[in-house]
Amino acid sequence: MENAKRFILFILLGVVLLTYAGCSRKDKPSDQITICFAFQDLETEYWVAAHKAITETLRARNIRVLERNAHQDANRQLEQIRDAIAQDVDGIIMIPQDGESAVTIIGEANQAGIPIGVFNRPPADRSKPALVVVADNERIAEEAVAYMAEAAQKLNRKMTPLILVGDLGDQNSIERKNGFYKAINAHPDLFKEPIEVPTKWDAVTTLANLEAALQVEPRVDFLFTSSDFLYPQVKAVLEPLGKWKPIGDPAHVILGGLDGDSAAYTLMKEGYVDATGVQDLFFEADAIMEALLDAIEKGQSTPEKWIQDPGFALTQENMAEREMDMWGYRILKAEAGS
Amino acid sequence: MAECALKIRDISKSFFGIQALREVNLDVREGQTLGLIGENGAGKSTLMNILGGVIALDGGAIRLFGDKYYPACPADATRAGIAFIHQELNLFGNLSIADNLFIDRFPQFRRSPLIDKRSTYNQADVLLSSVDLRLPPQTPVELLTPGEKQLVEIAKAMRRESRIIIFDEPTTSLTAAERSRLFAIIKKLQDQGQTIIYISHTLEDVLRVSDTIAVLRDGCLVSAGPRDEYSVNKMISDMVGRKIEQMYPTRDTCLEAKPLLEVQSLTQPGIVRDITFQLHKKEVLGIFGLMGSGRSELVRIIFGLDPFSAGKIRLNTVNIPKPSPALNIRHALAFVTENRREEGLLMEASVMENLNLLTLGKCSKLGPMGLIDRMKTTKCTQQMSKQLNIKSGPIQKHQAKNLSGGNQQKVVLGKWLLTDPVVLILDEPTRGIDVGAKVEIYRIINQLAEKGTGILYISSELDELMGMCDRILVMSNGRLKAEFQRDDYDQEAILQAAFSASN
Amino acid sequence: MKMYRILLRWPEKVVLSDHFVLVLTALYFLLIWAIYPHMAGHRNLANLLSNVWPLLALVIGQMFVLIVGGIDLSQTSIMAVTSVLGAMVMAMRFDPAKFQHNPLWGVIFSEQGGWLAGHSSAVPAAIFVMLAIGMGIGFLNGLAVAKLRMPPFMVTLVAMSFFSGLAIYLTRSENIMHLPASFIAIGKGAVGPIPSALLIVVSLAAVAFVILNRSVLGRWFYAVGQNIRTASVSGIPTDRVVILAYVFSGFCAGIGSILYSARLEAGRPTLGRNLLLDVIGAAVIGGISLFGGKGKVLWAVYGVLFFVVLDNSLNKMPIEFYSIDIIKGCVILMAALLDALRTRIAANQVIAVGAA
Repeated sequence: MENAKRFILFILLGVVLLTYAGCSRKDKPSDQITICFAFQDLETEYWVAAHKAITETLRARNIRVLERNAHQDANRQLEQIRDAIAQDVDGIIMIPQDGESAVTIIGEANQAGIPIGVFNRPPADRSKPALVVVADNERIAEEAVAYMAEAAQKLNRKMTPLILVGDLGDQNSIERKNGFYKAINAHPDLFKEPIEVPTKWDAVTTLANLEAALQVEPRVDFLFTSSDFLYPQVKAVLEPLGKWKPIGDPAHVILGGLDGDSAAYTLMKEGYVDATGVQDLFFEADAIMEALLDAIEKGQSTPEKWIQDPGFALTQENMAEREMDMWGYRILKAEAGS
Repeated sequence: MAECALKIRDISKSFFGIQALREVNLDVREGQTLGLIGENGAGKSTLMNILGGVIALDGGAIRLFGDKYYPACPADATRAGIAFIHQELNLFGNLSIADNLFIDRFPQFRRSPLIDKRSTYNQADVLLSSVDLRLPPQTPVELLTPGEKQLVEIAKAMRRESRIIIFDEPTTSLTAAERSRLFAIIKKLQDQGQTIIYISHTLEDVLRVSDTIAVLRDGCLVSAGPRDEYSVNKMISDMVGRKIEQMYPTRDTCLEAKPLLEVQSLTQPGIVRDITFQLHKKEVLGIFGLMGSGRSELVRIIFGLDPFSAGKIRLNTVNIPKPSPALNIRHALAFVTENRREEGLLMEASVMENLNLLTLGKCSKLGPMGLIDRMKTTKCTQQMSKQLNIKSGPIQKHQAKNLSGGNQQKVVLGKWLLTDPVVLILDEPTRGIDVGAKVEIYRIINQLAEKGTGILYISSELDELMGMCDRILVMSNGRLKAEFQRDDYDQEAILQAAFSASN
Repeated sequence: MKMYRILLRWPEKVVLSDHFVLVLTALYFLLIWAIYPHMAGHRNLANLLSNVWPLLALVIGQMFVLIVGGIDLSQTSIMAVTSVLGAMVMAMRFDPAKFQHNPLWGVIFSEQGGWLAGHSSAVPAAIFVMLAIGMGIGFLNGLAVAKLRMPPFMVTLVAMSFFSGLAIYLTRSENIMHLPASFIAIGKGAVGPIPSALLIVVSLAAVAFVILNRSVLGRWFYAVGQNIRTASVSGIPTDRVVILAYVFSGFCAGIGSILYSARLEAGRPTLGRNLLLDVIGAAVIGGISLFGGKGKVLWAVYGVLFFVVLDNSLNKMPIEFYSIDIIKGCVILMAALLDALRTRIAANQVIAVGAA
């Protein structure tokens, strides 16, 4: 037992010495700016594209990027950001799990005096200063659904509308739902009471719930999905019912979504989807990076800004002129080109 | 000139600084049967484990039929032709007899992985008949009695054409009929020229089957020679190192009339029926019966481990309608169960922890939430350990699983004795224990009785009961058949009562 | 068989010693420090330690259940449901947009805050509610295991699904913000230079230590875990002992809930969702046996320390988008294998002292 005790004492002594040594070392490599990019899994094309846009742009500017994936665990993200703070990063870009944890984490960054930017998912309130970029989801959704309603009017019948609602913990979902209702309520006689199908932002849940909903009400002919990434599930449910038909076919279901990914573009091109709201992903990514780098340069420790991405609705009507503004389209073209 | 099947030379082995074997030299001639005896802790099991490839020797060498023998694992031993018939049998209960016999080498259809079932069963039949086991080979092993399982093991050894068969305590779980059958098989094997090593505590059996006998004591070979040079007394004195004049110490039997435990018409359907008896102060009351007669079940009911449907139990004239272990312990009733490993000890815990398990509360003021008075418990347990002569390392550290059977039993006894019991129930207290330890336990029991404890003593060894008890009750099929006073002890009469069928 | 003979030649005493895991942790820490120098910086160490306390609270609770031969998979959902209910008692404000359609709107909480919002007793009451509910759920678990004789794995798995679902139902998936500052200070604050989380968890560890090492009850826990039959023959009230173990585990989950909720400044229905692997992993790494009968507070501490250092180091490496869980799983597997190996070394040293 004596051997073990001596061994342990030696180890502990070593740890103490090294800790002391560690305290007085500054290990940042020269003047390179370091930014911590903290995100939550990359489950949809939007997030993949956002991640790529942000990391590639920053690295192209010779900025060191510390990537941290919190796997949808708020506590883990908190720990990761605390860790980044301990490493003396110059700035933080964060995609939070939910609005509440965003507020808490912003608080930590504020306390440490490190500028922080929040991307696409807004904090629950504006009590703590941060740079926030968020899409005007309500307006974009309203615009898309308004176009869909116009197309519906031409059919001269009462429509049976359905909306796939996102995770209600996500502020964006709530706004998209509000935009949908705004557009629907502008034509009170055109629509029956809309059916709400919860998706929790999960493909499997969507499939199950949408199937169930269509069993209860098979006459649905007007469908809005709160996110484009659920189109495959919509197709999987509508196709066996003979409702997956392009525009012009009498069985066509008026279809719309929001995000603007490449799948949505392709479906619009093929005529299955009438309109899709587009978040300007590249605008959002550029905006947050510019704001953050600007703050870093100016030495601001708790910058505050609320940048809104107006977005737009890509419709069958304006497709030709505006398709190049759709990030999904640009991704398709990039892949085809390469 | 019979070749030497096994030559063991200067084998030594130590564990944690304790020398388990000291330069043991042993020869086993081919075709002969060696009877190996010795107290627990003498080194028999260590030696067998080395032979069987379970542990490695420290020094010395073994030659098996002339070849160097260095098993690295049990499979090596099996391959070399050594078969073990252990106390704890190694059969697969959920498989059939045939499966067990051929588990490592099934007869297969030529060049295919499929088992030839018909051939398997035929070969199994042949093997079973050679050990005189008349059962269909498809029978699942879990349905067999311990005696029958043992025969399957022997058949397995024969199937493997083992060169040496080692029997380790083969008769402990056998009925009388099965024992005879076993000896018949052994005789047959001997006639076929099989080399056998026979290990047992039943010295008469060892004398019966062996050609040569070897005695181990404290890791050394103290004597070896042809069977004719040995008698039971010589075997005992060689094993123990001194003469045991009297197996069962004498006691002043002056039992008092005061009944400590009264049982009236105790009944549990299917288990016991209408049991009535009394246990008096300073009395040692024995209960004898065959396995399955309900003796252990009776005392488990009295102690509250199993329920009963009718009857009364009174401890110290206090009626106990719903006995439970905790309640009985409060009334100073102690119970040493027959299975110390399963219900008597905490094998992973230290000797001291086992000893003070029942008396923790006594050493603390607040009951279960209270703190243990370490000094007090250490003192109590050390005293008890010395009193019972428990041989172990420091009792705070030495784990119960590392004690010999005899010392383990003493720990269980010590645990209960620390509660100062008024009534002590002992169920097979000397099972699987060597002679030296047995005598010590008998002495302790006598001392307790003289001091005033009432003792209920259950045993399958009639000699033991006749030597220790003031009265013997005989149970059969769940009923009390007979009662014998000390002056009337008659082995035949008692056995007859035990064998008698229900009326 | 050969492998452990080689290991035997090693400083055998170190391998078998109680402090083996601490040594491993120290070695690993040194290794990582060499690659990431700021590992030993005092801010990083502060972060590291702050991650230790809440996890340690949970592992201590789990240890009691493991000692009696059970397992408590419901600790994380006890955290979730107590976090939410505690928040409902003390939150200062509720956003009607989010909570209007909640079944408890108007009943327990309203726009002006939770049940006792604003009262001076709000925080103590909330804490009491959280701990009481934790103990209550633990009691139900223990009852099912001891009296109904249901397997602990199943009982606590069912409890886990039920209570995490309940937490989400009660809040409609919303997090409850605006907790009183005094509550948040419990998780994030300090008394002088000492973090309050440290004080709470070290006290908890001290109580656990005293119970396990010095009290009669502690011995009963070990006895029940080592051999429940012997324990019951010896008159130990095994049912009560088992139930108490689960109650304690629930209590510790309540403490963990307080600390995690305070640090995230909200009552969260998804609190601790991914922590179960960490809790069981830290316990196994520390050497607490999944088979029961073995466990020490010291081992829990070492296990958590190792796990947190591991986590902290993985947080720094660029590789592990998806690999963190894989690596953690591998480490736990190696810990379990190492434990089995150590047990074999110890057992093989004493095979023959009188078998029959």
